[in-house]
Amino acid sequence: MESPGTVGELTETLRQGGYLADRGLATALFVALSLNRPILLEGEVGVGKTEVAKVMASVFGRKLIRLQCYEGIDTNQALYEWDYARQMLHIRALSERQLAGPDASDAVDKLFGPKFLLERPLLEAVRAGDQAVLLIDEIDRADDEFEAFLLEVLSDFQISIPEIGTVKAERPPLVVLTSNRTRELHDALKRRCLYHWIGYPAAEREVEIVLIREPGVSAALARKVVTAVHRLRELDLAKPPGVAETIDWARTLDFLGATDLDAGHANDTLGAVVKDRDDLEVVRDNLQEITSGA
Amino acid sequence: MPDRFTGLLARFAGELRAAGLAVGSGDVLVYCSALSQLDPADLVDLYWAGRTTLVNRHDDIARYDEVFRRFFLGAESQDDELTLMLRASLAAQGALAIPSVEPGDPGEEDDAVLGWMASDVDALKHKSFGACTPEELAVLRRIMARIRLTPPRRRTRRSAPATSGPRPDPRRTVRESMRMHGEPARLYWRRRKVRLRPLILILDISGSMADYSRSLLQFAHSAKRSAGRVEVFCFGTRLTRVTGAMECRRPDEALERAARATFDWDGGTRIGDSLDAFVRGWARAGLCRGGIVVVCSDGLDRGDPAVLAAAMEQLARLSHRLVWLNPHKGDDPAFRPSTLGMMIAAPHIDLLLSGHDLASLEKLAALLPGLN
Repeated sequence: MESPGTVGELTETLRQGGYLADRGLATALFVALSLNRPILLEGEVGVGKTEVAKVMASVFGRKLIRLQCYEGIDTNQALYEWDYARQMLHIRALSERQLAGPDASDAVDKLFGPKFLLERPLLEAVRAGDQAVLLIDEIDRADDEFEAFLLEVLSDFQISIPEIGTVKAERPPLVVLTSNRTRELHDALKRRCLYHWIGYPAAEREVEIVLIREPGVSAALARKVVTAVHRLRELDLAKPPGVAETIDWARTLDFLGATDLDAGHANDTLGAVVKDRDDLEVVRDNLQEITSGA
Repeated sequence: MPDRFTGLLARFAGELRAAGLAVGSGDVLVYCSALSQLDPADLVDLYWAGRTTLVNRHDDIARYDEVFRRFFLGAESQDDELTLMLRASLAAQGALAIPSVEPGDPGEEDDAVLGWMASDVDALKHKSFGACTPEELAVLRRIMARIRLTPPRRRTRRSAPATSGPRPDPRRTVRESMRMHGEPARLYWRRRKVRLRPLILILDISGSMADYSRSLLQFAHSAKRSAGRVEVFCFGTRLTRVTGAMECRRPDEALERAARATFDWDGGTRIGDSLDAFVRGWARAGLCRGGIVVVCSDGLDRGDPAVLAAAMEQLARLSHRLVWLNPHKGDDPAFRPSTLGMMIAAPHIDLLLSGHDLASLEKLAALLPGLN
């Protein structure tokens, strides 16, 4: 699909893909698409940071390439790796056939050809260019050395493989980075990116989100669930429920055939929305109050 | 985009800089090119384009909002024609919801004179470290700089070439075997790397700890300089992160910046609430996972004991080791915690030290590598 012409168009496209973006997020994504800049999304857990990338990929018919970061991730897992086992077997096979002469050098060249190269997400994304959305998830979990390396890739979208040559993206992919803010990212990396903070949505919008994600749920139930979740967020829990939990809860209730949210149903399905033992106790004590009223 | 408009945007960026946001000229360039893709006369676009290109940390959003409101919507805007045009577009657009300045903004309370108040009141005042004599500081600094903190190590997922080890190194083995006609003559090995565990210092700076807190901050500063990843927090009635202030090379400046960041210097103590805030805001997010947490306090808590108990329990679970420094312990080996806070905290503490003088801080430095 073609790039959107205005922010409104992009919002509408995302809505058709099942994602409700507010004006700020839509503007940030629009600018990221038009200026070819990576976008860094921060926000509470479960507000749809990762989802943005998935939906962008699906509505624009691009391939989603995901790089999940973790402590100790290194370039082998992010860029490329040679398939050593295969190379070894190949060498064995060659030596058994006793190849010599001009064929031999050719065979050796082939050893470092595309056949033996395992593409990892970053190389894959650079190859795919603007046919891809590169999601670099939870960048705050990776070590800062990795961040410095990422900086290099994100600034020119070009990767050098000594044995093959340089791979460069003609038109860079859309890059979405997400962070849960367990540590502050380097300013140099942030400067390369657009920045957007995703907060919890307002109640009406959240009802809309639940309905668009779970069309089977009745509007009345969705409204009650959202009201209850908003009360939960006020409760000062250790882990307040995100939008993902709201959707999960509505889906769970709907699956169990509940049409209304009362204390009994809520108690049975609390595990879908509160996932901490200490929090569960607090919530159970206030259950009546949370589920009462519209 | 008209040139006059670019000038306006540049002035806006200047205002942001004056308000303390780190806005580089590169950022302004991106802001302008972003607006060339949008509608620069639309105030909503103006707001969001700026927020996504000029702000890059969550804490700065409030200040950005404030400057934006003052610059584009305030009475003192310089360029009448342009702002009028913008405001007209706003009226046509409907509303732009910029959150109002948060209540309790420290700027509004600057001139409120707060004297000594009841221990539970947030003592919102800056106390200068300058009160400490220069000779005293110099001596402390010299001695503290000598202490080298080495937190215990942990194995990482990364590996490095080694002469022997649990894992083979296929890359190197194949590379070397190429020389031998593809015959893997020798196996090469890799071994997991080791890394220093993070060190988190949580310092009590309340009235009852005032005599010690200054030297403890000095200690935190030299710790930050010598060990790898160190986070420093201060608390009295509320928790403040001062890691940023500790980045300064010069100790005096670092301490002064920490004092400015902390509002409740010499006030009351709420250990439970502060540790709870630490657990919720930082520890749960993974700040001290696998790390050594050093809490320095006398355990005189004015808050609810249940909160402290819950926070300590969680903190012990979320960190690798929990060390408590209690200056009142002194050199007494038969010390029994007498304050309620200490009694509650005791079961969760891995190591209890005194930290009341340099010798005891050196003892901490000596014991630290063994906390594996």
